[in-house]
Amino acid sequence: MTETIQQTDRPVDQPVEVSVSDLTVVYRTDLGELPAVSRASIDLVPGQITGLVGESGSGKSTLALAMLNAVPSPGRISSGSITVTGLGDVTKLAGRKLRHARGGTLGYVFQASQNSLNPLKTIGKQLLDLGRAHDVRDLRALVRRAAQLISEVGLDPDRVLDSYQHELSGGMRQRIGIVLALVLNARVLILDEPTTALDVLSQAAVLDIVRRVHRDSGLTTLIVTHDLGVVSEIADRLVVMYGGPNPEEGPATAVLHEPSHPYTRALIGAMARIVGDISAARVLPGRPPDLTTVPRQGCVFRDRCPLAMPVCAEEEPELVQWTPGRRRACHVEPTGVLS
Amino acid sequence: MIEARNITRTYRSHGAITGARVVPALRGVSFSLPKGGAVSFIGESGCGKTTLGKILTGIETFDGGELVVDGVELSGLSARRRAPYFRRIQMIHQDPYSALNPTRTIEQTLEDPLRMRARETGGDRKAVEARAAELLELVGLSPEGVLGKYPHQLSGGQRQRVVIARALTVDPEVLIADEAVSMIDVSMRLGILSLLRDLRTRLGISLVFITHDVATARYIGEDGELHVIYRGSVIESGPTDTIIQTPVHPYTQCLLSAIPIMRGLELPGPQRLVPIGSLDERTEDTGCLFAPRCPFATDECEVAQPALTPWDPTHQHACLHAEPRQVAAMEIALSQ
Repeated sequence: MTETIQQTDRPVDQPVEVSVSDLTVVYRTDLGELPAVSRASIDLVPGQITGLVGESGSGKSTLALAMLNAVPSPGRISSGSITVTGLGDVTKLAGRKLRHARGGTLGYVFQASQNSLNPLKTIGKQLLDLGRAHDVRDLRALVRRAAQLISEVGLDPDRVLDSYQHELSGGMRQRIGIVLALVLNARVLILDEPTTALDVLSQAAVLDIVRRVHRDSGLTTLIVTHDLGVVSEIADRLVVMYGGPNPEEGPATAVLHEPSHPYTRALIGAMARIVGDISAARVLPGRPPDLTTVPRQGCVFRDRCPLAMPVCAEEEPELVQWTPGRRRACHVEPTGVLS
Repeated sequence: MIEARNITRTYRSHGAITGARVVPALRGVSFSLPKGGAVSFIGESGCGKTTLGKILTGIETFDGGELVVDGVELSGLSARRRAPYFRRIQMIHQDPYSALNPTRTIEQTLEDPLRMRARETGGDRKAVEARAAELLELVGLSPEGVLGKYPHQLSGGQRQRVVIARALTVDPEVLIADEAVSMIDVSMRLGILSLLRDLRTRLGISLVFITHDVATARYIGEDGELHVIYRGSVIESGPTDTIIQTPVHPYTQCLLSAIPIMRGLELPGPQRLVPIGSLDERTEDTGCLFAPRCPFATDECEVAQPALTPWDPTHQHACLHAEPRQVAAMEIALSQ
């Protein structure tokens, strides 16, 4: 049986809410400036959930932070642009405009929200701080809006607003992170590893909430994760990241069903699953490159690639469309055969 | 190898405002682990599975039941007499970032326990060094590349391998892995899991695998037993694949339903279940503990906690409304 694959390809002229174009983020080190993100390009389409997948060190969290123009020192955006509808190029924003963009148009849920909440203040106080930082006049309305969102994520507003973060469970804190990201009517929601510290039932509940607020508020959502299962559960589009330009992107179902880049294939093959042949799972050898080991020339993945050819050491493959709606950066011809 | 009978553990907290509170962490857990075998304990955060792991390694005491290791019942023995039995059981912790001393090189980390071991067996310095190198190779690390390094110079996956090598320094017969891969990148997890599998087949080490992730439990102990814990009680147990394919307890069914489906490769089970509410809610302890969250609960469920009863000779459950449901993902047959 072959499943029908939905081709949710966007036509070339479909609107884009966020366009990351040729973005390079470098960190200053003793060895000079080294790239954490190198020429990454991602388009976020309104109403879609995009899943950004990569291993530790692939630069996915740096990319997410760059979208807020919040790359921590000694890092800096060295080239490229991030254009957001209504804001312009985020990399050019500064001062008050930037502060209002962060948490305003761009909602951000931090990796392990449990550690990003202030342990000394109740959730309600932190909400008011957020309002003041954004020059919100009507703080009462802000609290009403927050209370409504808190009920929408399945919690009791009165209890939560008076709680300190240690009084809430991991899943609850993650939901508060989502509420704080959306309370100022963000249009773009960026979630960095939203379920990593959660068990499977809390994860399912949080993903369900993300799906719902995304739909109900008409958001453009980016979810950054190392877990293909999470992307499969929630994302419309899948972007794979690995040091250099993205190896592969396309509609999530199509990419999972028929990965075309050796790295995507290896990632899927390295998952332990609850069905299927256990011995078919393959360990992905080696480790992702870090700042100091990332090759300056050729394909970044070649050292771990089972299909590497001589050309891979010399030329960096370009990200090109190979079939409608899907792009890949690989010298090996796409076979379309599932491995 | 290990035989646990009706292990209970209750914590008492003395809150300044709430007063003394009794929190049962384990309410009578029984299982047996054959030599070279594997058992997995599955449950969500706070179900008591970590407490069980600590009891099995002797870090934590238990207040009821019997723990038999190699035929010897341990609860009657003094701490001193118990120690050699617990040394056969070693723990691999969840967090490889905090399990290693950051100020000590990998060489120092491994050689301390090895020297202790050598004093008993009469080995010399050379033997200690050789054993450290041998253990690192066994866990898939190159001794030259790793021995002189500090933990921060290694990746999460490499650190977890060092933690495993350290556990092996005392030649254990059982390894307890408590969420051993949950903090490691998905791409690196399989390597650690297959290492644990290898240790089982090559060295005959038994494994107790504690996790919330059914898929990793299956990878480690496909041929072993799976026990599902809810609020300190085992509510279903049996052969791993039987529990995945034909779970009969609604809680097990909720857990399996929550596992993400790999679209394009799997189809969702047709009878997926979602629990009501969350574990945070404190409820009365009479009746079935899962009843407040159970979609099938009836008045009968409030009366008494159902005992573990056989569904078939190898498969047990504790539910008045047990019924097999197809909730786990189903593989899409490929057309090629």
